[in-house]
Amino acid sequence: MTQIVDGRGLEPPQPFELVMEALADLPAGGNLTVLLDRMPYPLFRILDRDGYRHNSRIRDDGVVEIEIAAP
Amino acid sequence: MTTADLSLSYEAAPAFSAPLRFFITAPLFGLIAGLVLIGAPELLESRWSAGALAITHLIAVGFMLNVMFGALFQILPVVAGAVMPNTPTISGLVHLGLATGTASLAWGLGTGSPPFLVTAVVVLGTTFAIFLGAAAYGLLRTPVAQATPRDLRLALAGFGIAGTLGILLALTLARGFALPLPLLVKLHVGWAWLGASGVLLAAASWIVVPMFQITPNYPEKLTRYWAVATCAGLALWSVAVLMELPLVELPLAAALAALSATYAITTVRLQTKSRRSVPDNTTRAFQLSMSCLVAGLACVLLAHQLDYELLPILAGVLILHGGFVSAIIGMLYKIVPFLAWLHLSQEGLKAPNMKKLQPDAPVRRHLAAHAIALAALLVAAISGSDLLGRLAGVTVVVEFALLLANMVKVLGAYRTARAA
Repeated sequence: MTQIVDGRGLEPPQPFELVMEALADLPAGGNLTVLLDRMPYPLFRILDRDGYRHNSRIRDDGVVEIEIAAP
Repeated sequence: MTTADLSLSYEAAPAFSAPLRFFITAPLFGLIAGLVLIGAPELLESRWSAGALAITHLIAVGFMLNVMFGALFQILPVVAGAVMPNTPTISGLVHLGLATGTASLAWGLGTGSPPFLVTAVVVLGTTFAIFLGAAAYGLLRTPVAQATPRDLRLALAGFGIAGTLGILLALTLARGFALPLPLLVKLHVGWAWLGASGVLLAAASWIVVPMFQITPNYPEKLTRYWAVATCAGLALWSVAVLMELPLVELPLAAALAALSATYAITTVRLQTKSRRSVPDNTTRAFQLSMSCLVAGLACVLLAHQLDYELLPILAGVLILHGGFVSAIIGMLYKIVPFLAWLHLSQEGLKAPNMKKLQPDAPVRRHLAAHAIALAALLVAAISGSDLLGRLAGVTVVVEFALLLANMVKVLGAYRTARAA
């Protein structure tokens, strides 16, 4: 089952904190979808460092959608 | 665009020290500008006086450019995914070059000393080349999927043009080059204010205002076309200035002022739609900034029509101190604690709450001092009183000392959290 974190409309660093909390609870092999207002480049670096697979896209409505898979 | 594409451009994120050294050095130049004003209050009487040129560059290059270049070392990777190569070395060189080059430039302009002006040309020219080259390298390796990365490229081009014109001006003063000085000054000011600083401020605003002030996004048409239209308008205006066509120059200047006012008014309107019930310090700093920018633009346009020496001085105070300095300190108070928090988190440490890293009360005190200094500068310029000029200098020293203290406090909180 995929969890969803919606960080739109929140002031930094709240979206970052929400994602980190969700990642901490994500079981091995679990998936997380994150919705944000912009590309979270610093988050990508942490995901890469910690071995998470991730894909992002900018939807037609401008929302940034990131799919994260736990290692 | 997928994350896989983006991750190709990652390198190690720059250390917190890369931007922070610029943010701590910058207020020192503002403080020196205040001291110069205390010693020579008559410099507010003419924009052509040696002291006025020195103080203008202490603020524009010493304060504004230090913060802008320092911020770009972090803004490029955080909002555009672009990392400059070998950031520790590049940021160290650029910091040293800006500090020594600005000191040499201010002294050279203030005293009319050719050796100091030539030294400033060499040092600042080299520093610009290093910074712009490294920034272009980072940006050219990232996709231009959003407005900010594209507009940052335009701003960097604007800095290149403004810097080149500045070098020509300094060499004209130092070596007596046979170049038309007033015309070059006009182009230098136009590109430095609007093509470089204005476009950079707008490019940062597209991201920073909605992100930190919880407003709706800027209208897409504005973010898509504003910077391009501004740079194209500036290029046409430059041609009109070079060909000495005042009948073409004035409408183009009015169009550029209208574009700038559109950005300022849109920003204030967005802030009224913020989800915050009470405006925070950054919002107030931006409101002051945008109001001063519009008032300063009105002075610029009036100065085109009226031969009244006070108008360009008021325009300079309103646009530089009221407009850019206000917006820059507003952004600093969001960016610096956020970067401290981000670096602590990326190091896997428990980061304190942002309000603990940068408490509100000292920021409010600094913003009040900044507003008082702005009012004092305007009153001193209008009155022509040396006493009021000296008092304005004191208020400028106080405001930059408070800013410096607040930046050092964030560094202290960061170090405490790291050591805990």
